[in-house]
Amino acid sequence: MREKILTGVGALAAALLVRNLYVMLLQLPDEADQGAIYRIMFFHIPAFFTAGICYIVSMCASGYSLWKSDLKADALAMAATEVGLAFAAVNLITGMIWGRIIWGIWWAWDPRLTWALICWLVYFGYLMLRQAVDDPSERAKITAVVNIFAFVSVTITWKAITWWRTQHPGPVLSIRGANGKTDPAIESMIYQNWIPLLMLALILVVIRVHQERALRELDAMRRWAHAA
Amino acid sequence: MAIAAKDLRSEWRTKEALNASGAFAIVILLLFSFAFDPASDSTREFGGGLLWLVFMFAGALIVNRTFARELPNDCLEVLISSPVPGAAIFLGKVWASFVLLILIELISLPVFGIFYNIVWWNQPGWLALVLVLTTWALSVVGTLFGALTVNLRLRELMLPMLLYPMLLPALMAAIRLTTLVLMNEPVAGDELVWLKLLIGFDIIFTSLSLALVDFVLVR
Amino acid sequence: MDQRNFTYMFYGFSIAWVVIAIYAVSLMQRQGRINKQVESLKKMVEEKKS
Repeated sequence: MREKILTGVGALAAALLVRNLYVMLLQLPDEADQGAIYRIMFFHIPAFFTAGICYIVSMCASGYSLWKSDLKADALAMAATEVGLAFAAVNLITGMIWGRIIWGIWWAWDPRLTWALICWLVYFGYLMLRQAVDDPSERAKITAVVNIFAFVSVTITWKAITWWRTQHPGPVLSIRGANGKTDPAIESMIYQNWIPLLMLALILVVIRVHQERALRELDAMRRWAHAA
Repeated sequence: MAIAAKDLRSEWRTKEALNASGAFAIVILLLFSFAFDPASDSTREFGGGLLWLVFMFAGALIVNRTFARELPNDCLEVLISSPVPGAAIFLGKVWASFVLLILIELISLPVFGIFYNIVWWNQPGWLALVLVLTTWALSVVGTLFGALTVNLRLRELMLPMLLYPMLLPALMAAIRLTTLVLMNEPVAGDELVWLKLLIGFDIIFTSLSLALVDFVLVR
Repeated sequence: MDQRNFTYMFYGFSIAWVVIAIYAVSLMQRQGRINKQVESLKKMVEEKKS
């Protein structure tokens, strides 16, 4: 049953993505200054949103796992972080390609970019830490605390473009109070492309959580088999 | 408070962490002088960064010891099972490492001034403020992560790997502000955002640590 | 459509997919490892029974 639902969601996401590709390549007009390259934003921005959602889910799951010492929530936190890191990597790399054309350099050390990278490193450290602790409940406790701390850097990344004058564009979307800075058709396309990416992230997280559970069951089975 | 006094007293008897990280700080200061020309004028511009890198390296040594010193003879187990609340143990440890770190910074500053020919007492008020705020951030986050990693194999490796990225906001703010102070420029206007960041960092991480420490110090 | 910067746009789109694909492949590999472990465990249990 679970597999069928996942396949269904995956098929829907794929259909949406193909349809979005068609619209953004053939129907939407070009941006006046940037030429074709601005279309990278249709992946760059939704990937950041998706990673952000993953980090939020991960933080909530960590909080819950700490509060109730729930290992399932711990597995969810780990899965969401991993998937979030993949999408954050998409965000960083597409941003670099855009910067190569628009700014002439791959990487500008401005606060937004720096903090997006810090986030990535912090969460990567979280995943590394998981491998250093053997006992599952000890691991859940320690990493949950680190995860909650890590979320502070996500908040800073989110706010960086309003706190500092950055080379990275300031808020251009209407949800952040920048009404009329972006063509409504383009802005709505950003959200439309976000939906399939979120679905994709959901699928990946579910698979990862399930794997973690399988691994735990495997451990238990092995212990039982050796004892028998 | 009793915990802080106890830690400081035992540190005072052996001076192991203090000597080691003080010497370490000075060695790094010396090493950096080979990486570039210490006599040039541009030293001022990255003097702040240099100073804080040294303090961070020395700080990691100190906070690494705060909980690790309780490991022999199972002192940590006893401390945790004593009726003292976790937050009190934690704050005691934070104060102890805070005092030690400030001591090391006070030792390193004159050395830094001599080696790199820098006048660092131009704006003593601002310098003191930045030192206190950032050292507090380093002690709080460092002590909490020290408590988290105390039982891990690879403790010496994991602690800096987790600590440095987490501290980067405070570190960036401290470097920017210290550089301003060293170049004798006013901390005003756009630069105040760094001070706000530093204060916010201290408040958020202190309250988060106090909220979470009871989960960490449990057996 | 405007042809300026089209190649870099293409790179950007492909990278986005390649990163996700790499992650998905790593997930599948892990699944394969888990399946193999389950198999070997099952075999071990069978042998013990007999």
